[in-house]
Amino acid sequence: MEESKFAINVHDLTVAYDYKPVLWDIHLQVPEGVMMAIVGPNGAGKSTLIKAMLGIQKTITGTVEILGKPYKTMRKEVAYVPQKETVDWDFPATVLDVVIMGTYGRLGWIKRPKKEQRKTALKALKKVGMLPFKNRQISQLSGGQKQRVFIARALAQEASIYIMDEPLQGVDATTEVTIINILKELRSQGKTVLVVHHDLQTVPEYFDWVTFLNVKKIATGSVKDIFNDENLNKTYGINYKVYVNK
Amino acid sequence: MKQIFTLLIAILLVSCNEVEYQNDDKIQIVTTTTIVTDIVKNVGGEKVNVSSLMGPGIDPHLYKATEGDVAKLANAEIIIYSGLHLEGKLVDVFSKIERLGKHPVNLGEALSPNQLIESENFGGTYDPHVWFDISLFIEQAKEVARVLQTYKPEEKEYFESNLRRYTAELEALQHELHELIAELPKDRRKLVTAHDAFGYFGKAFDFEVVGLQGLSTTTEAGVQDVKRVSDYIVEHKIKSIFIESSVPRRTIEALQQTVLAKGHQVEIGDVLYSDALGTEGTPEESYIGMFRHNVTTIVEGLK
Amino acid sequence: MLEFFELLLSDYTFRIIALGTAALGAISGMLGSFAVLRKQSLLGDAISHAALPGIVMAFILFQAKDSYVLLAGALCSGVLGSLLVNGIVRKSKIKTDAALGIVLSVFFGFGMLLLTYVQKKPDAAQAGLDKYLFGQAATLMLNDVKLLIVVLGIALAILFIFWKELKVMIFDEDYALTLGINTRFLDVLITIFIVLAIVLGLQTVGVVLMSAMLLAPAAAARQWTNNLGKMLIIASVIGACSGVVGTAISATQPNLSTGPVIVIVAITFVLFSFLFAPTRGIISRQLKIQKNKKELLLKKSIAVVYSFMVNNEELVEGVEKNKLLKLRDIDEQVIKLLYEKKWIKYIDSQIVALTEEGRDIAEKIELI
Repeated sequence: MEESKFAINVHDLTVAYDYKPVLWDIHLQVPEGVMMAIVGPNGAGKSTLIKAMLGIQKTITGTVEILGKPYKTMRKEVAYVPQKETVDWDFPATVLDVVIMGTYGRLGWIKRPKKEQRKTALKALKKVGMLPFKNRQISQLSGGQKQRVFIARALAQEASIYIMDEPLQGVDATTEVTIINILKELRSQGKTVLVVHHDLQTVPEYFDWVTFLNVKKIATGSVKDIFNDENLNKTYGINYKVYVNK
Repeated sequence: MKQIFTLLIAILLVSCNEVEYQNDDKIQIVTTTTIVTDIVKNVGGEKVNVSSLMGPGIDPHLYKATEGDVAKLANAEIIIYSGLHLEGKLVDVFSKIERLGKHPVNLGEALSPNQLIESENFGGTYDPHVWFDISLFIEQAKEVARVLQTYKPEEKEYFESNLRRYTAELEALQHELHELIAELPKDRRKLVTAHDAFGYFGKAFDFEVVGLQGLSTTTEAGVQDVKRVSDYIVEHKIKSIFIESSVPRRTIEALQQTVLAKGHQVEIGDVLYSDALGTEGTPEESYIGMFRHNVTTIVEGLK
Repeated sequence: MLEFFELLLSDYTFRIIALGTAALGAISGMLGSFAVLRKQSLLGDAISHAALPGIVMAFILFQAKDSYVLLAGALCSGVLGSLLVNGIVRKSKIKTDAALGIVLSVFFGFGMLLLTYVQKKPDAAQAGLDKYLFGQAATLMLNDVKLLIVVLGIALAILFIFWKELKVMIFDEDYALTLGINTRFLDVLITIFIVLAIVLGLQTVGVVLMSAMLLAPAAAARQWTNNLGKMLIIASVIGACSGVVGTAISATQPNLSTGPVIVIVAITFVLFSFLFAPTRGIISRQLKIQKNKKELLLKKSIAVVYSFMVNNEELVEGVEKNKLLKLRDIDEQVIKLLYEKKWIKYIDSQIVALTEEGRDIAEKIELI
């Protein structure tokens, strides 16, 4: 693959709080069209990594390129799904209100969302199975429903790259299946999906690429090639055995 | 950041501390308002050293004691204040001084209740602006003389002669002012000021007196007060209303606007001195000069 | 009573002050909503207290008695205070609420210190510096009111222009950043307007009470709606009403401070909203809890009836009421309620059977 064809190219990324390194010298190349899991123990810097990619986190050094261009110019192509706990859901808004927010990026400053944006949002809601809830107060949603609203918001952005922070954490089984199916569909459309994933057991089942992270990048590549005991050990530091359904 | 703050605070505290110790035979007296200071200086003359807590333009209703003030009071031989709750926020300080064994002299107590104007809203409290009735002021001067004579009996004659001289001046002033006011027709003798400081003036010189705030500047003028006073001004076609040196101009300015909106042209007259004397170096720095200025200004404004 | 109101409305002073306080109330309601939703409720408190040293310093430095100069001083130290809060939060481990508390007390303490120092200066009394602590609404003049209305207009325009950006930013700031929204710019903009509103409010309700004006209408409005736009409108209306009603009430008594009365009216709105608002109000929620409890108990009862009937097969078609009454927790009252809920029906005057709905509900419970 040519250099410029990487979906995401992270170069020399270092982040530190006070003097403690949180991410150290990360070089990461994510090919287009993959569904990648980012795994690592607590405090490994997984959330920090994607926040740094998205320009939300201050870095000491590092550059991020999206499809060969600097991230800041390519915002429209990247959709972010943050952890649902980062938001106060008691905010006065409906499900539809939140999903329409996903269309703001393409609208630009000052312009108001109109029929077209509404349509895009409704389409996204339908995809995640939340259309009947479109006028529901967001405070009245369950964990799984909240997650689906966030995913719909990202879908409404009509981006080519989707970056998600633990989207399967704290959701019911049905929602998990729904979300994974959406992600797989995105991949089949040629989109790139990056997921910080909390459950090692399901990595080989859901993802085709994986990055092992523990402050440093331990390894990255296809699940087939690198999802093995050696890398698990290096990342988690103990004799970690995962039973993989080959 | 913090260091700059500490430095600033230190500088301010140091500059607030202006205690001066005199090493002569004069009696060290601490007074509150400039008006009280004037009496004490006139009666005490060369034999006293007077230090005033408040200067010209200071509002005694609002004045709070500083560290330096408390030190001054503690080191004074005699403390004299106006009383009748004029120095409303010094009550605590004075009671603390009492406990130190000093007995501050309350000039308000030199007068008997039937000489005083009682507050309309709060029975038992009196209008403290007694100095605008010259006869009452003379009584207070007599009290000061008595206090000084009790403290230093050997100078009895000296204080007595000062008192006589001062009383004569005050009586002459009273006469002069009556003449001045005679120029003003009776129906024009209506004085509107920022607060009710001129009650005794009104009584003594036959004026109708209306203040916007109450007896103390601590009370806030309310919507109703502005309405009431503005209606009064319009009704009696009053020519001028007056600001006071120690009270914010805003209240009178707002009053004027209301009156103008009601279709009556009212001017804002020159400054009147109500709770404090004027700046040093001007004729208004003395009680007599101040009173003369006030009446001249009032008469000019209302003619 | 009516003529009283006529009198009130025809009076110039009342009209000016009511208009001014209404504009202030509306601004406070709108901007306060943002502060409340961003969990920065005490920001208004901190900034209004931080404004005090600016007022006194403006007087000291410029010997100024003009209220505009003093208010400019208030604006400066208010902005400085808010910048300091942000700086402390960003550059240290101190959290926002502690930073607000620190800035509030240090600035206000410093301001009070300056006040005692300055009271020895002759012009200080004329400048009326003390009055900024509690405000003096009765001295609002036409120019003040004009300024308030202009600021209200500008604030409305800004909210209208940046509506969607503000919405995202407050709900999910990180996400807003990824959309390319300049949250820093909007943050500063809103903060400046909050400081502006506070500074304008100082003459009316004073330093100490201004924070209540920013909080109360917004907190009250939140109880009545789940739509951001409606919340802002309701907050503005409540703020404006507090101004007008407060002015009217204070106009009925001589020497009654207008500022504090306005704040009391605003707080009354809050109490009322907390108690009586539908859905979010305390009373409404209590009623809902009671209702749910009752329903749950009834469900238990229908399950008891159902299992009794099922266990005695011949009773599937209908059972004598008396037999039911012998069951645990079943009495006449319960039967009546079950009938009202249409979970049971009367086949005969004394024979009772389950309805379709009753059967459904009972079966669902049996499955638990």
